[in-house]
Amino acid sequence: MTLDPRLLIDTLGVIAIRLDDALCIVEIWGEDDALAPGDDIRETMPVLYGLEDELAGADVDLTMPFIQTGRNNDEPVSLSIRRDPASGALWLLRRDVSAESEIHRQLVQNHNSLSLAQAQLVKARDEAQEADRTKTAFLANVSHELRTPLHVIIGGASILSRTGPKRVEADEVIEYAADIHESGILLLQLVDDLIDLSRSETGDLTLYEEPCDLCAIASGIVSLCRDLPEARGSRVEAVLPGEAVGLTGDARRIKQVLLNLISNALKAVAGRTEAAVTVTVDPAGPRLIVADNGPGMTEEDLAIARKPFGQPRAAVRAKGAGLGLAIVHRLTDLHGGTLVIETAPNQGLKAIVTFDPARARSGREGY
Amino acid sequence: MKTYKIVVLGDFGVGKTSLIRRYVLDEFSEAYRATIGVHLYKHGDTLAEAIPHIPVSLVVWDIEGAPLPSDQTRRYIVGASGAIVVGDLTRTDPYSAMWEAADMFEDVLPGRPMCFALNKSDVATVEHPEAVKRMQRRYDCAVFETSALTADSVSPMFHTLARSILSLGL
Repeated sequence: MTLDPRLLIDTLGVIAIRLDDALCIVEIWGEDDALAPGDDIRETMPVLYGLEDELAGADVDLTMPFIQTGRNNDEPVSLSIRRDPASGALWLLRRDVSAESEIHRQLVQNHNSLSLAQAQLVKARDEAQEADRTKTAFLANVSHELRTPLHVIIGGASILSRTGPKRVEADEVIEYAADIHESGILLLQLVDDLIDLSRSETGDLTLYEEPCDLCAIASGIVSLCRDLPEARGSRVEAVLPGEAVGLTGDARRIKQVLLNLISNALKAVAGRTEAAVTVTVDPAGPRLIVADNGPGMTEEDLAIARKPFGQPRAAVRAKGAGLGLAIVHRLTDLHGGTLVIETAPNQGLKAIVTFDPARARSGREGY
Repeated sequence: MKTYKIVVLGDFGVGKTSLIRRYVLDEFSEAYRATIGVHLYKHGDTLAEAIPHIPVSLVVWDIEGAPLPSDQTRRYIVGASGAIVVGDLTRTDPYSAMWEAADMFEDVLPGRPMCFALNKSDVATVEHPEAVKRMQRRYDCAVFETSALTADSVSPMFHTLARSILSLGL
């Protein structure tokens, strides 16, 4: 092998390599221990992979700074590639650019770090403002939800306390008393939900865990729901496997999850809901699935429904404060599970609660 | 064994380098260190999901991040067999810079496969699934929620891209 004298541009830190074809096989090489005649230069300079078509061009002239990265070192390099018009050969000029590369990097690093910090500050400010708006909206919603049944109670009690000629008849007393009772139950339910939500937010909601059977829970809640007034005209079915599905969890809270999901399903098509409660054992963990034949929701409505007091457009007229799904979400989280909702307009809604597989118990472990 | 060039694109600070270093070197650092120009990583891997297992060699180009890709980025893209476009789930809008990068890649190399990485899934979740679906529909590519910290979905994403490249016979 003879060195091409044109390669002897022996500037300090510069290595020049001449390539005779676009396959990048080194024929003549500079002072680089990593290269030998016949080598594929792309193995030493992987930057050339993908550039084969460019290198084959008649007027190649490109400069590319890059850093060859290894486990323990970075090698900042600037690579210039030109075709020598006289010989037609490709020339690669590789230059060590460590010093200027580090200065440039520091400048960009400072700029990027400042930009990232600024973006984080803006995001934190936006989140704080959003939290403030949410709190205000939450208080407004709570006030509104409390006022409606309170008005019924106060108004009813006021009428019942009338004396003289405006005194209500005996049969009306029963009606007003029933209204007051129903409003009282609504208030109690709302306050219970608010307490649950608040405790789950602050981490004060404690699970009382015990071995339980998802099938027994589902069967019991489905029976209970069939007797609810809002279930009149609707059908709720339990689809259960042949044997118990054991789980370590808080049975009361799991019942609450199921009750809220079925209650939502029953409101989907008042008086005509067909809901199925399914219990399965999946590799991902034991599952409770509640599916209904309701109108379904758009993604935007679902995002609203997931928030406390969220009332998607289709559900505005339904009874309820809009806390049910938020509570289901929190209780599922507390059980280390996930809540996935599959829905689309006119395609019903399927709520899938998957519990942490570590909570699963085999039939032999007892309940 | 053929070697394929893969470019990794996206805004700065979204975790492109962290994803690559997790994949190639199986390491992770919390410290942010800006990438200047392009960093190259050469990595041999095996697509173990395929039968028989397929060995591949990848040169991964970690390209300097920017909200809008530059002309220099366009030059870096030339010759790539595929791209990974990275966004940061902790940001208010992870998607705009991803669209810009994906558009540029599609413009330079139409039809070449891409994967989208929604990174930092260990600390944030997808808040706008409809935006993700739009990207999926537009580019017909897989979307991964990745974490360079926990390594979640990192190797599967590179393997998916490699399989797409192989299936195109590139």
